Amino acid sequence: MSDAALLEVRDLVKHFPILGGLLQRQVGQVKAVDGVSFAIRRGETLGLVGESGCGKSTIGKTVLKLIEPTAGRILLGGEDVTELPPGAMWAHRRRIQTIFQDPYSSMNPRLSAGTIVGEPLENFGLTRGRETDDRVASLFTRVGLRPDSMRKFAHEFSGGQRQRLGIAKALSVNPDLIVADEPVSALDVSVQAQVLNLLIDLQEEYGLAYLFISHDLAVMRHISHRIAVMYLGRIVELAAKRTLFETPKHPYTEALLSAATAPDPKRRRQRKRIVQGDVPSPAKPPPGCHFHTRCPYAVAECKVTAPPLREVAPGHHVACLLR
Amino acid sequence: MTALLEVRDLHTQFNTLDGVVRAVDGVSFDLARGETLGIVGESGCGKSVTALSILRLIPAETGQIASGSIRFDGRELTGLDEEAMKRLRGHHISMIFQEPMTSLNPVLTVGTQIAENVVRHLGVPWRAGRERAFEMLSLVRIADARRRLDEYPHQLSGGMRQRVMIAMALSCDPQVLIADEPTTALDVTIQAQILDLMLELKEKTGTAIVLITHDLGVVAETTERVVVMYAGRKVEEAPVEALFEHPLHPYTVGLMRAIPRLDVEADIAGKRPRLQEIPGLVPILTRPIIGCAFAARCPLATERCRTEVPPFVDAGGGHTVACWEVTR
Repeated sequence: MSDAALLEVRDLVKHFPILGGLLQRQVGQVKAVDGVSFAIRRGETLGLVGESGCGKSTIGKTVLKLIEPTAGRILLGGEDVTELPPGAMWAHRRRIQTIFQDPYSSMNPRLSAGTIVGEPLENFGLTRGRETDDRVASLFTRVGLRPDSMRKFAHEFSGGQRQRLGIAKALSVNPDLIVADEPVSALDVSVQAQVLNLLIDLQEEYGLAYLFISHDLAVMRHISHRIAVMYLGRIVELAAKRTLFETPKHPYTEALLSAATAPDPKRRRQRKRIVQGDVPSPAKPPPGCHFHTRCPYAVAECKVTAPPLREVAPGHHVACLLR
Repeated sequence: MTALLEVRDLHTQFNTLDGVVRAVDGVSFDLARGETLGIVGESGCGKSVTALSILRLIPAETGQIASGSIRFDGRELTGLDEEAMKRLRGHHISMIFQEPMTSLNPVLTVGTQIAENVVRHLGVPWRAGRERAFEMLSLVRIADARRRLDEYPHQLSGGMRQRVMIAMALSCDPQVLIADEPTTALDVTIQAQILDLMLELKEKTGTAIVLITHDLGVVAETTERVVVMYAGRKVEEAPVEALFEHPLHPYTVGLMRAIPRLDVEADIAGKRPRLQEIPGLVPILTRPIIGCAFAARCPLATERCRTEVPPFVDAGGGHTVACWEVTR
């Protein structure tokens, strides 16, 4: 990985204990993230795509240091932030901000929208009083909200407007990286387009990097530069967007693409769906390659050997014994 | 041949502190036997309330069907008493919802729940009901169906629960299945399996399906005819190929351009293109809408659009649209 990386994640592992029995002893563990490495450059969008339970949101939370990793390193601008004491972490917090799927649940219902957006500015001591108000007003304008709505409360905004508020709040402290976890999944199509356009505009204007987490392949294809496909805690394929969609190598990526619906009635009978069955429980992932139980190409070796993520072409990484 | 289900000028309203919400504001459509009809629109467009109205599931304390007619197999449903509706629901017309966990009983095994429905409606002995439950679970391809009969809903995955809901809904050979966002809560690979299953079962049983969704991809891949709703009104109706090839209503056109697509080149000259936005917000349904409901957000709107409700005009081939401008 080059020095130009803004964020670098190395061999990240996060296990959650499963407690059970009368004494609530640990009876097992969920390997939510099981050895994941990637890097994000300045101004770049890396998409993390996968189905429920694949660990994509856990990675987001770990990068934000909302939860501590079990093992592995997280480097921000070349500096290891994994084991920083809380005081030293403070300065780094400003550099990584987040946007949630449901911004409403992260907003204090008793505070005005202007206070919510201005809070990080004052917390980090970047502005005070009138200065904060001016900055908040310009942020409102930038994300497409009327500055006179600063006095309104979160419940008075529509879903799309609340997401704009969430974006304004994340943007307020001039971060380098924004972790966006399903930011448009709860929005209607017409509003989703507005928010995606805004996110792209802001990225180009401020040179922001995004770690964009989503289950929606079409959204991913629209907004990402590179995409990592996850399955049960591991990255199975990582490539530039175009490579991934045009020449997917991992059978799971192929399966995801074959399963996605397209707004074109003529395509409906041409496709065959590749995978059957459910995603296995992350508490008991299959041995070897996690995907072998659903993979149409699996051979005996796949059941015992976990394939490493290998670079099969420049920038194209695949974890499959057969490809 | 007459339609199996005929909805005419349906008005469903809710009484709220802010006033009367016109959730469904004069919707009409037909459903033929064995047909798959999609109803598509964004949140609050009235698509789910239309479905609940057909099954008369609008709670009396909050709302009511204010006017209009719903005829099923020649029989008017709007005036039927609750006992007659109970005999109809789950038997001749059944429904599946987005979140199966909210409609399955957590303290009964899935076998018991399916058997109950069969025994109640078909009057067969319990043993035959259980046998039917086994047949249905096998039909929806739940592996090891005999054992699953004795499991509780929480022991099943999300995809399997939705299969159980489908098994239950189809257990009495209904003529109509109403599916409200049946795959929205499911993962991509599971969604594909459930949609394929629904279509395959439709071919086998001849059940007509009303599929309610916000997802244009799901509509394109599963339905034969589509009704597009906006702010409680139907704005366009067409065979699915015609709708996607030549959408007519400015709202439908806007929706299609607003979605990011997997099947077309994403970047133009290395740049991510802008998605087309539909400016503005949906109208507030407690205030009377004068003229076309979409006029305030429509790029083509004229003075007439803001004052007169556009009538439905036939564009040929079963494609109808309510717009003053595109049909001029």
